[in-house]
Amino acid sequence: MNIRLKKQKSKRILIANRGEIASRVAKACRELGHIAVGLFTDMEPNAAHLEFCDEWVHLTGKTNTETYLNIEKLVSLAKELEIDGVHPGYGFLSENGNFASALDEAGIVFIGPNIHAIKVMGDKATSKALAKEAGVPVVPGTAAAVPTVEEAIKVAGEIGYPVLLKAVAGGGGRGMRACESEGEVKGNFEAVQRESKAAFGNGDLLVEKLIVNPHHIEVQILADKKGNVFHFYERECSIQRRHQKIIEEAPSPFIGDDEELRNSICETAIRLAKAVDYDSAGTVEFIMGEDKSFYFLEMNTRIQVEHPITEEITGADLIICMIQSAFGEDLQIPGQEFIRKTGHAIECRICAEDPITMLPAPGTVTGFETNFPQGVRFDHCLYRGLNVTPDFDPMVGKLVAKGLVRDVAIRKMKAALKGLYIEGLKNNIPLHEVIMDDPVFEEGKYTTNFIKEVAPQDRIDTSINHLEIYKKLAAAEARNMGM
Amino acid sequence: MRTYLIDSEKDEVIIDLKKTIRHSSELIEFEFSSIKENKEINAEKVFIKKLAGNYYYSTNNRTWRKLARQHTPQKVLNVNKVYDLYRGFKPSGLSSGDSGELLTQMPGKVVKINVEKGQKVKSGDCVLILEAMKMENEIKTSVDGVVKEIHVSVGDALDSGVLMLEIEQG
Repeated sequence: MNIRLKKQKSKRILIANRGEIASRVAKACRELGHIAVGLFTDMEPNAAHLEFCDEWVHLTGKTNTETYLNIEKLVSLAKELEIDGVHPGYGFLSENGNFASALDEAGIVFIGPNIHAIKVMGDKATSKALAKEAGVPVVPGTAAAVPTVEEAIKVAGEIGYPVLLKAVAGGGGRGMRACESEGEVKGNFEAVQRESKAAFGNGDLLVEKLIVNPHHIEVQILADKKGNVFHFYERECSIQRRHQKIIEEAPSPFIGDDEELRNSICETAIRLAKAVDYDSAGTVEFIMGEDKSFYFLEMNTRIQVEHPITEEITGADLIICMIQSAFGEDLQIPGQEFIRKTGHAIECRICAEDPITMLPAPGTVTGFETNFPQGVRFDHCLYRGLNVTPDFDPMVGKLVAKGLVRDVAIRKMKAALKGLYIEGLKNNIPLHEVIMDDPVFEEGKYTTNFIKEVAPQDRIDTSINHLEIYKKLAAAEARNMGM
Repeated sequence: MRTYLIDSEKDEVIIDLKKTIRHSSELIEFEFSSIKENKEINAEKVFIKKLAGNYYYSTNNRTWRKLARQHTPQKVLNVNKVYDLYRGFKPSGLSSGDSGELLTQMPGKVVKINVEKGQKVKSGDCVLILEAMKMENEIKTSVDGVVKEIHVSVGDALDSGVLMLEIEQG
């Protein structure tokens, strides 16, 4: 089938985000012939994403609450700038129903799903209820928030340890903690509450059963406003630290060539998306046990950090489809059978953090260079002089390698990691290098306990590389001598 | 000339530039070694060449490799440590502080203070919780003693290297 691209009037799109995703969205806007309007704040006057925007505007404020999280300010700015649509990226207000409503009232398109879908899926209790109704399996646990620590202990006793304490409004792994015993529930309850309150403005917690040796597998969904819902296969995101992903793969090595299982999980995701009248790009997250049984965890009603690996194996441009869908345009996908996957893609999240303790490590990038093999994509916000502050997430880039088979993707990733040079800023490249060489990873048999049990961080060589230091000093001396 | 590399935990690497030979305007030879416990180790020659605006290095003046650009090498990263670079001098006032003094290792916001002035604490006790990059970090004391002074309060946004709490050992 041949689809002609229709010429259309260009729209003004405001990108209510920063970092690599703002660059990614800006590029998509420009490809579609729209005008990408970027934002910069007092926290980050030299943001790298501005380079890719057609226009940019100063968003005053010194904290996230005053800027990227400020609905009133963003909406009034969008009105003033005669914006047609706002892309929220991920994080910040991307899954905030009130933001979508406020834009809607102002006659501005929210580039994401409808408000109903955001609200239902944004709450763990209502999303679980809807999943149950749609016949999607869910993990045993409480349907509503547990008000007190005593109540949490009681529920945990009923469903059996280990249990997971998690924020009703949580996401991205923030505001959740595993508890193996009554004592741990007692010890963690207040901290999780406080973290959730700080991160999401809501301290309500849920208790649920913890699946042992689990795999985190998610399905990429894309839907339009005419009721068409497609899946773009699955991603495995089991390599996590602090419940946050650091390496993702598509397709899942755990599902492997079990096409029946793949079909079943993808169809389940579509069923859920249809049940909530989904109409944008989104992700249905599942937890899969050792026995390949899977349970619905949550639906992320936004574009996800790891969307590039799906784009790499399917050839789709999810951000573009998202924009088209939001404006009620055709997705240019005639049917599910037109979405095919080839090869294997891996993403390593490059974070400003200590590679061993994995704690955030703010700092300044004093050197940045890349020398990648063929078939590597690097979505990032790095430049020499970038100051990574504690205001934002420590992720500074996403390194994506693709190969016809998984082994090739791993080989390319190893070469890409060697070719990624970041100086002056602690980063997790050494950790990724050890993981890529790890036999458990190579076999593709890892679970979400990989970091805890396999502990690749303990194998990072921290000895001083004298020659490395000498050559840096030598170049500096040579420069000082006027060479 | 000596160069001192010192990280935030006062870990120190001393490097001695022993010899510099300028072979031509485009080729300089350096001889480095490291000083550990007053002994010279890891002596190595490094040749630097500049071609088309890029710097190249060699250890034998035969095979060359490109050097990644870093125009202001005030910092050097080695896996999990970022060293500040001091050429030709060792800065004073960097001597290791009393271990009862808790300093911030990274910028962050105080979300909770678990102790009061005059309270007894044991090594390993979490005395304070600092939030950075949307994560809570427990600040633990490494000494037994009594809280002498608390210099911060909940909600304070702190820079790196700020004195938060003093504990009198005993």
